Amino acid sequence: MQDIYLLVSGPLAWAAWAIFLFGSIYKIWKTLDTAKKKEQVLFSYVSLKYGLRSIINWSIPFNTVNMRLNPALTAISFFFHIAFFVLLLFVSAHQVMLGEGFGISWFTIPDTLANILAFGVLGACIFFAARRLTVPEVKYVTDWTDFALLILVVAPFVTGILAYYQIGNYMLMIILHMLFAEAVLVAIPFTRLSHMLLAPLTRAYIGSEFGMVRNVKDW
Amino acid sequence: MEERVWIKDEGIEAGAAKLTPEKIEKTINAVFDNETGARLKAYVETCIHCGLCSDACHFFLSHDRDPRFSPVGKVKQTIWPMLKNKGKVSVEFMKQAVQVAQTECNLCRRCVQYCPFGIDIAYMMSLVRRICHKQEITPLYIQDTAHSHAATMNQMWVKDDEWIDALQWQEDEMRDEFPNARIPLEKEGAEIMYSVIGPEPKFRTQLIYQAAAIMNETGMDWTMPATPGWDNSDMAMYTGDSEMMGRLKRMHFDTAARLKVKKIVMGECGHAFRSVYDTGNRVLGWRMPPIPVIHALEFYWDLLNEGKLKVAKTFDEPVTFHDPCNVVRGRGLHEKAREVVRAFCPNFIEMIPNREHNYCCSAGGGVINCGPPFKNARVEGNRVKAEQLKATGVKVCIAPCHNCHGGLEDIIHTFELGIELKFLGEIIYEHMEKPNAV
Amino acid sequence: MRDILYRYAIFCAIILCMSFGSVAFAEDTGVFDVNAFGTLERPVSQFDHDAHMEYPEIDEDCSVCHHVYEDGKLVEGESSEDQACSDCHTIKAQGSQPGLRTAYHDQCKGCHIDMKKGPVACGECHVR
Repeated sequence: MQDIYLLVSGPLAWAAWAIFLFGSIYKIWKTLDTAKKKEQVLFSYVSLKYGLRSIINWSIPFNTVNMRLNPALTAISFFFHIAFFVLLLFVSAHQVMLGEGFGISWFTIPDTLANILAFGVLGACIFFAARRLTVPEVKYVTDWTDFALLILVVAPFVTGILAYYQIGNYMLMIILHMLFAEAVLVAIPFTRLSHMLLAPLTRAYIGSEFGMVRNVKDW
Repeated sequence: MEERVWIKDEGIEAGAAKLTPEKIEKTINAVFDNETGARLKAYVETCIHCGLCSDACHFFLSHDRDPRFSPVGKVKQTIWPMLKNKGKVSVEFMKQAVQVAQTECNLCRRCVQYCPFGIDIAYMMSLVRRICHKQEITPLYIQDTAHSHAATMNQMWVKDDEWIDALQWQEDEMRDEFPNARIPLEKEGAEIMYSVIGPEPKFRTQLIYQAAAIMNETGMDWTMPATPGWDNSDMAMYTGDSEMMGRLKRMHFDTAARLKVKKIVMGECGHAFRSVYDTGNRVLGWRMPPIPVIHALEFYWDLLNEGKLKVAKTFDEPVTFHDPCNVVRGRGLHEKAREVVRAFCPNFIEMIPNREHNYCCSAGGGVINCGPPFKNARVEGNRVKAEQLKATGVKVCIAPCHNCHGGLEDIIHTFELGIELKFLGEIIYEHMEKPNAV
Repeated sequence: MRDILYRYAIFCAIILCMSFGSVAFAEDTGVFDVNAFGTLERPVSQFDHDAHMEYPEIDEDCSVCHHVYEDGKLVEGESSEDQACSDCHTIKAQGSQPGLRTAYHDQCKGCHIDMKKGPVACGECHVR
């Protein structure tokens, strides 16, 4: 088990981060490059000012009309995305590993808070799944890939919680936790999780069109 | 979900009869490969199927939240299978896709304001229309309009001499009220070229009269062309006939350039403004229009603020104002329009939602131009508009757009709202100071 | 890439295992004395001192773990079993001297990796 643990926490982690990083750079580069080759005209409608204006306004909870129209979803979505990154970056166990590997560390959150966030993320994913199953307009455009992505994203949190509480086979859980997290990283550039990379681009573009050409808010 | 009833349209049926799987595949891939790039790919790959665009769509809301009428639902019924099957879709699929894209989406872009990622679903519906245009399955009535554009360079089969005749007739009419009034034709070097849409000389000539009256009474240096190029409308834009759109806009801009005017002022039309200000210029390679394009709402506001337009008496009945997508979501003229409306109509009541979040009229985007076969679907698909209008409690609604007028008129009639529709120019004409009138 | 991380870990482990030592230890309970940490985030690590002393690699040589450092250099032959780890290793690192938590982790985990034996994952030591 030690070998597998060391493999997953060492080389596989390196590989996952590398694929994520280079994959993400490639994805963004490819998108911009294709735009340059096939739709160069789009660039003349991109404005830093209005692009940022749109991104900022859509980053503030309850700032847009549609966010206020769906308060529960807005709250849960914002929580989910914030908790995702807070847990990734500030959980003490992650920091210990960072410290051991690179000798660096920063601010950590107490495990109690991490627990609350992790259970919150679990709840959020259950909410997303329930929404996909019950809300007609969401159900209609949902296929198996949506659930696959949701399961992929929730898996590191489920196994993380099980490992934290040492329920079941601890070593299996901690290894699965790391494997799933690595799978999420690898999936980001190559699945619809790439909205993490592309949403700022689509947002900036439409924000520019609305702000610069059409003189109107896009939120 | 119960089975959908698809509407039979002669144009779609005739076109579909000639379609083959090879032609379908070829046209779809030709459009995807040659006319799209990073934008479509990013839109399709970024969409996480959250359905949040749904609440933006009047079709969705009016069909009791039937997911097939949600914006993303329309993408699911059109773009997704085309991409997934690499163009290998059936004739039946295309017949349904054209109805979805051409008659159940007004390209009003309200959903763009509701998508967390700013995905432009109207753009994707336009792509579907483009594909359908290439497959020649565009609905009959709007295709006829596009044919008119191609043959006459105007939307309504208006002959060249009919156009001049209509203008001179209106000038003649005006002389009763304003003895020295002119509709100056072909005046080179005038400051303003005033352009209208085909239906104005055809059956709404009083609008030309009113606009000319405003021009005369505010002392504008203006002209109208006596040649093709006078029509700023553009149904080719809405059928996906980009080539024709380019010809139309080029002729329009060329006419303005020939007359050496400083700017083009347009009548109260939304889609034409979209075409001249936003879409047509791009097809011609102009980032922004080569000659400044001023919509009537902005023009009125300018006149009011420059003190050239003065209120003689106010229109005291309660009025509401319908924000047309193409000049509000497309140009941000909502505040200027309100200032003008308030100046003339002190008893102004907002409909809710309003401004850039107003519900669409359900006529724009070429939908009303698809004609009688789709009329009932279009009106039933906008029950929310009727409810929104009714909630204001007013009996007069200002709708500064021809398509909106047409759409709202049908809604008001069907839902028995008893609301009178007006163009803003109509109210201005009736209530402004007329120094030269007898 | 694997190698770089590994070499680093092994490098640390060797240095630590060969000479460090300052684990204050309460033999009767089988866990470390971790009062210096104050409130703990995780359960105290399980540790069997006697079993460790008998491992051939240690062979009752206290200085393998209970090391002494002076001016950042290991003092050969000296041991520090009469001191608590926290006497030298403060909570925060001081220069090249690791902080208390890192010292514990490096000392245990480093050696375990080096020996290819013994717990390395968080919950293997911090058992609930």
